[in-house]
Amino acid sequence: MSSGLGGLDRPGAPTSPGTWDERSEPTTGPRSTPTRRTGADPVKALMHRHRDLCERAVDPLEIAAGLEAHGISDRTASRFLHRDVFSLAEEMYARVSRGAEAAPGPAPLATPRARADWILLTLLPGVLCAAAVTALHLTHGQSRLIAAASGALAVTLALRAALSRGPLAPTDRRHPTTARVSWLVGYALLGDGLLRAAATGGPDALPTGAAEGPWPLTTAPVLALTLSCVPAAWCAHLLAVRARRKLSSSRALAEFATSAKPLLLGAFTLYLCALAALLAIATTALDQPSTYPQTLTLGALLFLCRLLTSHGFTHAPVLVLTAAASAEATALAALFAARLPGCAWLATPVQALIDTGGQAAIPTIACGTAALTLLLHATRTLTRASAHATQNQP
Amino acid sequence: MLVRIGLIAEGGYPYVSGDARLWCDRLVRGLGQHEFDIYALSRNERQEDEGWVPLPPQVSRVRTAPLWAAEDDGVVYGRRVRRRFAEYYGELVAALCAGGATGASGASGVAGASEDASATEADRFGNALYGLAELARDEGGLVGALRSEAAVRALERACRAPGALRTAREARVPDLLAVAAHLERALRPLSLDWYEDDGLGSVDLCHATSGGAAALPGLLAHHFCGVPLLLTEYGVRLRTHYLAAPEASAAVRSLLAALHGRLAAETYARAALITPGNGHARRWQERCGADRAKLRTVYPGMDASPFAEVGEAPEGSDPDSLVWVGRIEPAKDIVSLLHAFAEVRKEEPKTRLRIVGAPSGAEGAAYLGHCRALAAQLFPDEAEGPHTVGDNPVSFEEIGGPEIPTLADAYASGAVAVLSSVVEGFPIGLVEAMFSGRATVSTDVGAVVEVIGGTGLVVPPRNPRALAEACVALLRDPERRARLGAAARARALELFTVEQNVAAFHGIYLEIVSRTPVRRLALDEAGDPLPFAVPAEAHVPGRWTERTARLVARGGPARPPGAPVRATALPAAEGAL
Repeated sequence: MSSGLGGLDRPGAPTSPGTWDERSEPTTGPRSTPTRRTGADPVKALMHRHRDLCERAVDPLEIAAGLEAHGISDRTASRFLHRDVFSLAEEMYARVSRGAEAAPGPAPLATPRARADWILLTLLPGVLCAAAVTALHLTHGQSRLIAAASGALAVTLALRAALSRGPLAPTDRRHPTTARVSWLVGYALLGDGLLRAAATGGPDALPTGAAEGPWPLTTAPVLALTLSCVPAAWCAHLLAVRARRKLSSSRALAEFATSAKPLLLGAFTLYLCALAALLAIATTALDQPSTYPQTLTLGALLFLCRLLTSHGFTHAPVLVLTAAASAEATALAALFAARLPGCAWLATPVQALIDTGGQAAIPTIACGTAALTLLLHATRTLTRASAHATQNQP
Repeated sequence: MLVRIGLIAEGGYPYVSGDARLWCDRLVRGLGQHEFDIYALSRNERQEDEGWVPLPPQVSRVRTAPLWAAEDDGVVYGRRVRRRFAEYYGELVAALCAGGATGASGASGVAGASEDASATEADRFGNALYGLAELARDEGGLVGALRSEAAVRALERACRAPGALRTAREARVPDLLAVAAHLERALRPLSLDWYEDDGLGSVDLCHATSGGAAALPGLLAHHFCGVPLLLTEYGVRLRTHYLAAPEASAAVRSLLAALHGRLAAETYARAALITPGNGHARRWQERCGADRAKLRTVYPGMDASPFAEVGEAPEGSDPDSLVWVGRIEPAKDIVSLLHAFAEVRKEEPKTRLRIVGAPSGAEGAAYLGHCRALAAQLFPDEAEGPHTVGDNPVSFEEIGGPEIPTLADAYASGAVAVLSSVVEGFPIGLVEAMFSGRATVSTDVGAVVEVIGGTGLVVPPRNPRALAEACVALLRDPERRARLGAAARARALELFTVEQNVAAFHGIYLEIVSRTPVRRLALDEAGDPLPFAVPAEAHVPGRWTERTARLVARGGPARPPGAPVRATALPAAEGAL
């Protein structure tokens, strides 16, 4: 290239008249501010101009990158008596006073907001369930059967919709628990009646859908449980919000774990209180016998399962739900199996439990043990910082 | 000889919306005598949905992996593996908490002791990284572990340890979680299944088309299978990271800067050769610890043919017009250009300025509006006589309009091409102007001086007066313009064409393969070593070896019993085109 261009001018930087001289960088024409008398310490003036960059920088290279983005090249750096931008940036980084820098408090993490869609959706199962129960009371025979079936379907769909968004939505849908939950709820509805019938030699007929008769339908617990979707969602939301606040204000993981435990237990207790109140209302309204122990333990179990699932812990809930459901199923199966010749001993433990605690003892013990296990598990997992972090990742 | 190249791209080549897709496509098409395996990391779902560009036959396989969605792999570690993970992860974050690789090394003239310490830390980082990679390969995944509480706890311990960075010591719980999440993202390539003998182990060399996530598979292939790594960086990833650093606390930023710095240093140290795209990238790489002997600057290649007609006949232009071509955005400093043009008009009142380009994004559109308003304010409309309709001397146009149908016409329309940017990487517009044989005035940013050599005028950035004086000097001297334009075109044709780029990479591939060949052990059907499986003729052009010879990397991972991997056989391209 050079041979043919020997006669060419070399207009690189410095030769062209007036294009490159001492005033080039500091005076940019009439717009320039009069504070460019850089005097003895030009770097200081430069640092003042880029003070945000210097204070923010975590290492010299960040200043170098920032300076280059502001148009400072190696050639400009030579006017500050530096070989290149890197050494200029190093001087600037070294000269920034960092001691007095009052670190601004970290911006609080964005907390989840209560949104109209999930608030309305959580109301839906309770309302539909109440409507279904009313329909059961008003109808007879064939039409009662139709009302029961359509009511069950509507409540299931509403529950699915209510739990698919909001604070109770699962992060991981790979472990469906629908079958186990349906069994537990179904037991709450029919199980006590079946157990009593089985213990006394029945059942002789299918349930008629009425609250009286040989195989009664206990609708009050189910009504209370579906209504409790609202307090469950609110408690989970409250827990999420408070945990986020604690998260942004805590300095150590252990500190967060300590402060998150009361939050978790508080939310859990709050839910149980709400469920108890709803159950009281439901039993009074429907005029059914009170079923506090089994309903409260079942509610606690379902709430904890949902809470864990929504934070990404799916393994333990599936295990524990399976255990509780199979415990109930075993009790029923044992009673029926005892009717076989020579197997009467199978019913002995179940019968003993029923004799001491009534029919409620079976579901209470099954769900209570399960809920207690999950509560212990939750106090370990849900108090971890990483459990509450997944929500802020896009 | 035939070289099998594993081209690793992140959010790039085979995807239609990839970053460096054009360059990679030209490279792959230009080197038909070699064989390419493409390993692509996609950046988002949209990119995957848009599909691939048509691939030439020398691409024998494409493997892709999403970087954006690493779902939990469900791998549950046993107690011993958990302990191993915690140990490696703790080492990794401890190396990060000890500070970046770049703070103490390089040309700063720090005493030897601290350089030793820095080298130790770099070693520690590398060992921990490879340890995690081995663990991921043994156990089948790392994602779940990287998201676990154990990782956050290890991070906390490292931050609180004596000797940690001051900023790291101030890390709060949200910072720890943010850093752990970033680490999980950055280390996702560790969980890929590419490092087997039928994957990256079977190529002769890995070519990472950018630093960062794309270089990580290359590093691991080097570690597991001894495949040499060629790293091409047109823009230094570390610098991009600094400029795009998210709004976060100082603790997060310093740890992430340390991560990217360490990763860059490790990549530079392990790479067989590094090809920066320009001198600016080269200086950054040297600064981050790249060995000068490994650096080969390879300028990006551009297609010169559209500009041939314009470049051969430079006289056709309007002698009084300046032209600016590019994407309109604040970094281009068009405001400064308009102020300079005001000065030019004082000297040469007949001059016109054509600004050709489309705004990029919402910010660019707002900037364009601002520039239009400023132009209208600075320059009143002018008419030739009292009966004609006036026109503004500054015109904003877009390519594709009736006056400027092609990019070459944009350059053809002006006598002098102006570049007024304050920030610039490799100035593509300037090279296009050089191809078109225009005299140029540009600001001294990025790689401008290096690109222009002596064939155009260079002024400091943000200096409208100097820009104006240079423009006036050229406008008044058509002969100088012609000389400069011809010299610029000659220079561009020599340095910045696609052909030189492809030829340079061809030479580099051969150099790497000749210096650091991957030694493979050929096996026969029974799995015994096969003598003379790779005859001397294998090194002459063409394919001489038997296609079914079975090869494995010596010193590589233990091969699965009974099924040695075919190294030279061509697997069908995976996935649909």
